[in-house]
Amino acid sequence: MTSAILQSALAVALAVGMAPTATAGSHGPKDEPKKPTTAATEPANDDAANTAQDDDPDKDVKLAQPDFTLVGLPTTLRLPRHGSAFRITHRFGRPLGQGDFSDLLQDGFGFDSGAVIGFEYRYGLFKATQLVVHRTNDRTVQFMVQREVKGQDGAFPLSIDVVASAEGTNNFRDSYTPALGVLLSREVGTRLAVYAEPFWINNSNPLPKELTDDNDAVMVGLGARLRLAASVYGVFEVTPRLSGYQPGDSQLAFALEKRAGGHSFQINFGNAFGTTFGQIARGGNDDWYMGFNISRKFY
Amino acid sequence: MRSLRLLACLLLFAVLVAGCDEKLADLTGPTPNLQPTFASIQSQIFAASDSNGRPACRNCHVAGGIGATTGLLLGDANTYASLVGRPARFRAGETLVIPGNPDESYLVRKLEGGPNINGVRMPFAGGPYLTSGQLLVLRRWIQLGAKND
Repeated sequence: MTSAILQSALAVALAVGMAPTATAGSHGPKDEPKKPTTAATEPANDDAANTAQDDDPDKDVKLAQPDFTLVGLPTTLRLPRHGSAFRITHRFGRPLGQGDFSDLLQDGFGFDSGAVIGFEYRYGLFKATQLVVHRTNDRTVQFMVQREVKGQDGAFPLSIDVVASAEGTNNFRDSYTPALGVLLSREVGTRLAVYAEPFWINNSNPLPKELTDDNDAVMVGLGARLRLAASVYGVFEVTPRLSGYQPGDSQLAFALEKRAGGHSFQINFGNAFGTTFGQIARGGNDDWYMGFNISRKFY
Repeated sequence: MRSLRLLACLLLFAVLVAGCDEKLADLTGPTPNLQPTFASIQSQIFAASDSNGRPACRNCHVAGGIGATTGLLLGDANTYASLVGRPARFRAGETLVIPGNPDESYLVRKLEGGPNINGVRMPFAGGPYLTSGQLLVLRRWIQLGAKND
């Protein structure tokens, strides 16, 4: 476990400094070659990519569902037992619509501004069961467990996972927000995966209940990932709140993503900064922000 | 089987955590027992100073006091009647407390410092003012209908 964490830290440090086409790490998913990864080196066809190269099919790259998250919402990708993955989420605080284009250019498209940053580590405790720890730099810590109930196969058209999480502010010492959810996904060939994810979020309102009408929320995450080229994806998600505490607008985001070895590099645009369920339930606003996700698998 | 047990434990944990709401006392600071009821606001805001050094409203807003010229008497039996649904004496067209509408209630604007107020933010002497938490409680009382509870 400790070595896995060290591997994660090392790989993230390398990932930040590498271009998207850089050499894949030595611990990438097993269908990825140990040589510079470009679109040209992607598997010649989908069948080849899906060919199991290990006894554990969870270690194969799922072309329609290559990562554990969309932008902020989870996917149903299974993490191999004792495998792990690391993710950085980064949302720049500068609204893209602030000022004119010249202002935006001078601000480096938001790179000069502060950001909401998250670090996430997930570990495959058991087969089809993963434990996730996610911390954002407002000192919110979320613990989550995700368990596959039923996988998509020839006889069943969906993957179904259940999720339970609890997050707390001030390094998990204040303002706890538990959440329960079901993840439904459907992979369509090797090009598309669509998601519907109903959640109940308790205590999503940061105020005491004496001062609020609603202290929880029911929301449904809706999303899709479309493989545009061999290793390039378009990602979309929106999370409307159906009842309860519903400030602002529903969180909405879209992204462009490049898979390279065990890495995924994603640039995203959204109207909010949320990456934990409680943050997502609190919604977004009228502005748009740029951000990115970088993830790395260790199996 | 182990993973199902783990999931059950985490579900139980989530249910237990669900009872952990924020404490109102953590928000209301110098008046930890303040509640969004008229009786509580009367006794802890209008009629009493607090540990921040904020003066009691009734220091001035009593019969014969400097604040009595406004017609707003706080801290005695007439407080509710002089407050809820009553016009602001020095600001035409404004109502001190509009049940259900804290944003348009002139009392809230005077305590928050504007916009569109006559004179200065209250308390008169330049603070300490009500904390943001205390103001949230006052707003909540008005939002709930400004009842005489």
